[in-house]
Amino acid sequence: MKVSLNWLKDYMDIELSPDELSETLTAIGLEVEGMEEVESIPGGLAGVVVGHVQECGQHPNADRLSLTKVDIGAGEPVQIVCGAPNVAAGQKVLVATVGTTLHPTEGDPLTIKKGKIRGEVSFGMICAEDELGIGQSHEGILVLPAETAVGTAARDYFQLETDYVYDIGLTPNRSDATNHLGVAKDLAAALKISKGLDVEIKLPDTSKFTIDSTDMPVEVVVENTEACPRYSGITIKNVTIKESPDWLKKRLLAVDVRPINNIVDITNFVLHEYGQPLHAFDYDKITDHKVIVKTLPAGTAFLSLDEVERKLDAEDLMICDGASKGMCIGGVFGGINSGVKDNTSHIFLEAAHFNAKSIRRSSMRHNLRTDAAKVFEKGSDPSITVDALKRAALLIKELGDGELASDIIDIYPSPISPVEVEVNYQHVNRLIGVDLSKDKVKEILAAMAMPLVRETAATFTVAVPTNKADVTRPADVIEEILRIYGFNNVPLPTHFRNAVVFSQQPDPNLIRDRISDMLVGSGCNEIMALSLSESRYYKDMLTHVPAEELVYVNNTSNVHLDIMRPTMLVSGLEAILHNQNRKESDLKLFEFGRSYRKKEDKYQEQNHLSLFLTGQNYGESWLNKEGGEVTFFSLKAMVSKVLDRIGMSSFQTSAVQDEPFSYGLKYHRGPQSVVTFGQISSKITKKMGIKNKVFYAEFNWDLIIKALRKHKIEVEELNKFPGMRRDLALVVDNSVKFSDIAAIAAKSGKKLIKDINLFDVYINEDQLGQDKKSYAVSFVFEDPTKTLVDKEIDKVMQKLIKACEAQLGATIR
Amino acid sequence: MAVIETFDKVQAVIDEINASEPKTTADLEQFRIQYLGSKNVIKSLFGLIKEVPNEQKRDFGQLVNKAKATAETKFEALKTALESAADEAQAADIDLSAPGEPQALGSRHPLTTTMNRIIRIFERIGFVVAEGPEIEDDWHNFTAMNTPEDHPARDMQDTFYLLNNTEMLLRTHTSSVQARTMTSQKPPIRIIAPGRVYRNETISARSHAQFHQVEGLYIDENVSFADMKQTLLYFAKEMYGPDKEIRLRPSYFPFTEPSAEMDVYWGLETETDYRITKGTGWLEILGCGMVDPNVLENCGIDPEKYTGFAFGMGIERQAMLLYDVGDIRLFFENDVRFLKQFKSAF
Repeated sequence: MKVSLNWLKDYMDIELSPDELSETLTAIGLEVEGMEEVESIPGGLAGVVVGHVQECGQHPNADRLSLTKVDIGAGEPVQIVCGAPNVAAGQKVLVATVGTTLHPTEGDPLTIKKGKIRGEVSFGMICAEDELGIGQSHEGILVLPAETAVGTAARDYFQLETDYVYDIGLTPNRSDATNHLGVAKDLAAALKISKGLDVEIKLPDTSKFTIDSTDMPVEVVVENTEACPRYSGITIKNVTIKESPDWLKKRLLAVDVRPINNIVDITNFVLHEYGQPLHAFDYDKITDHKVIVKTLPAGTAFLSLDEVERKLDAEDLMICDGASKGMCIGGVFGGINSGVKDNTSHIFLEAAHFNAKSIRRSSMRHNLRTDAAKVFEKGSDPSITVDALKRAALLIKELGDGELASDIIDIYPSPISPVEVEVNYQHVNRLIGVDLSKDKVKEILAAMAMPLVRETAATFTVAVPTNKADVTRPADVIEEILRIYGFNNVPLPTHFRNAVVFSQQPDPNLIRDRISDMLVGSGCNEIMALSLSESRYYKDMLTHVPAEELVYVNNTSNVHLDIMRPTMLVSGLEAILHNQNRKESDLKLFEFGRSYRKKEDKYQEQNHLSLFLTGQNYGESWLNKEGGEVTFFSLKAMVSKVLDRIGMSSFQTSAVQDEPFSYGLKYHRGPQSVVTFGQISSKITKKMGIKNKVFYAEFNWDLIIKALRKHKIEVEELNKFPGMRRDLALVVDNSVKFSDIAAIAAKSGKKLIKDINLFDVYINEDQLGQDKKSYAVSFVFEDPTKTLVDKEIDKVMQKLIKACEAQLGATIR
Repeated sequence: MAVIETFDKVQAVIDEINASEPKTTADLEQFRIQYLGSKNVIKSLFGLIKEVPNEQKRDFGQLVNKAKATAETKFEALKTALESAADEAQAADIDLSAPGEPQALGSRHPLTTTMNRIIRIFERIGFVVAEGPEIEDDWHNFTAMNTPEDHPARDMQDTFYLLNNTEMLLRTHTSSVQARTMTSQKPPIRIIAPGRVYRNETISARSHAQFHQVEGLYIDENVSFADMKQTLLYFAKEMYGPDKEIRLRPSYFPFTEPSAEMDVYWGLETETDYRITKGTGWLEILGCGMVDPNVLENCGIDPEKYTGFAFGMGIERQAMLLYDVGDIRLFFENDVRFLKQFKSAF
């Protein structure tokens, strides 16, 4: 919203600089988002001064040019070459001095330089009206009255005023400040309280209002008084539609309103002055000279001012004529036929108060965000319709030669009285946290013209002016008090007020942070992807996600992002693709995030850690020429690191071969997966356009956090007795797993085997036979009660070997 | 042979040892064989003891032992000297400027780093982390938060509703966690709620369909606007530097009354400063206010007894300021050339 400083000055005397005023406006909640210096004439005629032509003679080298000596009130008279036929010695003229930039009425700005014209030096230019940008005339230079003082700045001669226009980000609760009078009143209150200035508001004078006749009465019927609690109007006859005078155009231009004609301009002026939208109808177009305020059947066609045919909703409040034909969507937008045109001679002027919600709904429904609608939907002041009407009528009489041809019609069946709010004094100080005296509170209320209607020892009751639609409760009144007192004047307490509150244990955020840092130390980059995803991925690529579990979003801004991601997988694949296309194919990525699924009308959000490895495991190096791609076991090591760091060791292991994996493992507790990890099926990576193998782990973070609640580190006593190691090379079938050997060791080991490790795998068909492999396994023996002797260990080893032979068909190499 | 000569012979060996100067590893080996090897000279000296009178045998033994000790000490010293000389000689040939082993270091995402930084600041003064669902119902997101049905925030173009279910939506702010917490806990409540929020907006350099917020809420008896101001000033100084000033501007949010926006004085030193502060030097950081009594009532908390403040801020905005990021989309593209710039944890 634009607010003009000069316009504000019509209602109050302001001594503050434009910058100080800007700060005050912002401090009372009228945030200045921009401030513009506006000249009524472009450039403000800076550098143009009154000169006295002392000499005027023929230019030696040009017939049509004159050579003049002009006194410009500073130093020696200057020589100026002038081409105007009417220049003569003794004239008082306007001189654009060297360096001045002129903004001619037509054409581009022009900067005056010292120059030579046909061999004669010229120090400036004697100007015509159009060259100064103050008129159309190019008849010759502008000659001023002889008594004009030499050296006077042109802006002073023309009494140009500089205006400052504030762009205010008006919040929806400020129905009182949609207009200049409202801003002036709020400003005056703040200046009284914060700066101790005694600022009085000068309201527009409507005391001279009298009607001229009652020749042209209009009958008004309001059928829907809920949507239209008040309807006022007046007829004005024999108006002349013409251009508005300069002062009015200037006011409107300052607030970005395009002047159209005197009638439209006056309605706009009053809107920005009072905050009362007005609507002017062509009196002759009102059938039966009767106005009916009502709704029309749904689907009724209405041709609006913008020549669009609109289908009305049954809720749209219409201003209709005597034939029940819609003339205007009340408070929102006019119709094409009923408005004021250049040939209109009599007008009916409406000033109404409409229900804010009803206006908002109509305005949104038809996408008609007009200035009037924006004012009404904040809650306009029901008390001002007649004042605004008088003000407009007087202006139309003055600027449009009209005669007031009816009484003021005012349909206001249930007058809206000021809301009375009782506030506890103590609550004011409790909420603000200062000690405001009762007198101070009353002083602030008085400054805001919020009258005190009652007072008890503990409370006060204010009558809230009807222009503050949003102030209805004690908290709102306290807000008003604090706003004018000044948010920034509230003193800071020396201590924090605090409370005993307990945090969630284990702290999910802390755990995420710790694990993230560990993964970063292991070379992983943390990513953050979109939760919104595309359903197409799940139609032909990731068919393992049941279609009915997808959560669809009505995304009207980004149509392809139509679902919430049901897994973390695609996010990572998209990131891998994005980087691969930028020649970054060796990636270790992780993300903490959520997946979203619909399960039987319930929406489930699950927290995950996802981990992606692809490409080379290590960077190329002179130390390790072989490098090597990441494998399943690179991922497995990372998964173990995460689980060890969390302290989670008890779970079952199952092989996974389902989509989206081509192979992998699942660690789980019963049916609940802790983590599933493996190589992503190349069908999927190919479809995505990813060249390398991708290894992916998805942790069920919710389950992990839950499990962590029971986790505890219990320290074992350190073993005083040395451990012993035995190695074994077992030749087994390819189908035999390391976990089979480990299981036998656990059983045969009599709790003496503390550690078992696979330290070499050897495959050689010639030596071992087809489908055979040799596993070199180490066993570490420990006994906390004594030093182990060979005999004892040998016994265990023999048992272990026998078991391997019997159960796994192993032979010892 | 005279006894004197026998003693002299040992002394001569000692002198010989002292005088010898092996320069190379081969020389030193020669030295070792001669004096410390299996058939060394000193061993033969021990044999001479039988020629020494009994009363001098002890002195003689000591002298021979001295010879042996001298040889050993000299050998060790020479060996160490030669080895370190060899190390130094070798060191000259090592290119120490060659890169180390390729142990890659990853990076944290700038948004989590920023979010954690904010959380830590508030945790220090007793706020605890709370979370809530992103797929939220209309009540927790809007109704409980005193957003009347016709409020612009409810416009279809701003909110992501689920398809065919206008009761469910993607939360538009973390304020929904306020409603969740207040309906499930009794005051005092002192939470900080970080999380992802959504707006039905076209994705561009300046705005995104998803972003992150941190919401704070403190409900207790006698919590005041002044308390809020103190908390937020502390935050601004911890986050942006102890010399920072704040100002509070009256504003409007449906869920707080009074409502304010907090600006931090950023200065006007660069062109960017002018742009981001609209030429005022003040930069908008967060929205805040005293919890509206309607919100308390909606959530079953007695507004006569309790008051409270709430605040909320966008994480992306803070991160863009902290790291000079000009395009919000960079946060979610996961380009490792961007991510690797955040290797440093600070």
